[in-house]
Amino acid sequence: MIEVVGLQKSFGNQVALSDISFKVAKGQIVGFLGANGAGKTTTMDILCGCIGADAGTAKIAGFEISENPIEVKRKIGYLPDEPPLHREMQVGEFLSYAGKLHGLRGDRLNIRVADLIERLELGSNKNRLIGQLSKGFRQRVGLAGALIHDPEVLILDEPTEGLDPHQILQIREMIRGLKGQHTILFSSHILSEVESVCDQLIIVDKGRVVEQGTHQELITRIDGAREFHVKVRQGAMSLAKELEETLPNLSRITVSEEEQLVSFLTRDGDDVLDQVARRVLDGGFGLKELGGKSRKLEDVFFQLTR
Amino acid sequence: MGAIATIANRDLKSFFVSFKGSVTFCFLLLLMGMFFRSFTATFIDIQAQTLQMGGEAPKLSQLTTAIFQNLHFILLFIVPATTMSSFAEESKTQVDRLLQTAPVTTLQIVMGKFVASAGALGLVLIASAVYPFFLFKYGNPELGPIFTSYLGVFLLMCAQVAFGLWVSSMVNHQFLAYLFTSFGLFLLLILAWIAPNISGAGGAEEFVKYLAATPHLDNFFSGLITVADLGYFIAFIGLFLFFTNVAVDAKRWR
Repeated sequence: MIEVVGLQKSFGNQVALSDISFKVAKGQIVGFLGANGAGKTTTMDILCGCIGADAGTAKIAGFEISENPIEVKRKIGYLPDEPPLHREMQVGEFLSYAGKLHGLRGDRLNIRVADLIERLELGSNKNRLIGQLSKGFRQRVGLAGALIHDPEVLILDEPTEGLDPHQILQIREMIRGLKGQHTILFSSHILSEVESVCDQLIIVDKGRVVEQGTHQELITRIDGAREFHVKVRQGAMSLAKELEETLPNLSRITVSEEEQLVSFLTRDGDDVLDQVARRVLDGGFGLKELGGKSRKLEDVFFQLTR
Repeated sequence: MGAIATIANRDLKSFFVSFKGSVTFCFLLLLMGMFFRSFTATFIDIQAQTLQMGGEAPKLSQLTTAIFQNLHFILLFIVPATTMSSFAEESKTQVDRLLQTAPVTTLQIVMGKFVASAGALGLVLIASAVYPFFLFKYGNPELGPIFTSYLGVFLLMCAQVAFGLWVSSMVNHQFLAYLFTSFGLFLLLILAWIAPNISGAGGAEEFVKYLAATPHLDNFFSGLITVADLGYFIAFIGLFLFFTNVAVDAKRWR
């Protein structure tokens, strides 16, 4: 549904995107994850036709954005981090306007507006001015505006930014409720949010895609260098030295003398634990604890964007 | 056409529900009213003097011409207020993304904004018809020159709106848009006055005079519609709408 190949974009001397390539299949909710300034918003702006790319191609539902911008815009709904709302308009009036811009007229428009007002629980605010609404409700109006033409692809740029915890949960629920009806590209720098809402993840860093896959796939892929620790009764320093000399497949060996703890990374998974345990027992260090850290998305993200 | 009407309709409504729109509307009518009252009083005085002392009595068409010529000055303040937020404010608040992500072309956006601003000023102009109405009630003016004067002023407004939209599309603050538009329109106004001071080969004086809007209005004020004057205004409007279209499109590549 979305196919991006080699997107590049610079603002003056500042390189915003150096190489963005990814694919999103139909009906998925895909998290676009990255730190501030990683290139999320720029990529989304290019996909929506707000700005042009210096190089690369972006296809939505088979249409190339630079060749068929109007056709692409018919197929996407976009909710930027700051929803584009006319504050002097009433909620219902604004949604009608957004619908008319997408070519909806008459009964079709009225039914669509009424349906979205009901689905997004905007009924009590239908006749209020948008400028008088709370940020959470403005976000809902923005989402309704993006959904007005029932787009195949929905692009949401940090839709929970600046909301209180209660509003964040509501918006997340709404996005989850859209699953299956739309293909959703959802950007955020809140890891737990992406983890809870999305089927697939795309991690961007410094203007390039560093990893793409499901949460489990990413963890398994990164788990090749999983972190373990061994706690002993004495001689942690000597143990670390011995491990470094005898087991070349261990890396980043660190020691905490206070806790008598040795931590290390290895790509060999559980097999290496036998060897480590044997050296601890043979050397008389006194084994107290041996274990591996369970990986979370947070670890994956920090490792990829370090 | 549908998209242009949708954009124009929204902007027009927004203009009249805003404080800015109401103030602009009232300010223009108030100033026109003051000019009308003052010129009518002077007209009656001169008429009375010519009756007593002899000589040619002033014509009603001269009164309307004086009013419309002064309207040109008022528009220096009114038109920028109408066009300043069209692109500049929307760009600053990022509301422009609504149009950028809608399936409409840049030309449709520009035309929608143009129709809205020209329409708002056109409505003010229609409201100002109350002054000629008084002339018809208490005098016997010629309809032709009043009609052509209104047409001339409307074309002037449209040209100024096109210029104002172009400025608004180039800056990100509506205050700057107001300032630069007023300055630019003032330059256009005084071109006819500074033209005689320009001496150079190749008819530089004539060229500068041609660029100024004022000489093109004289024929309209005296009841004449000429192809040359119509051509000037249409070319001016077309050129600046084209510039606006290019400026809005270029923002995607900055």
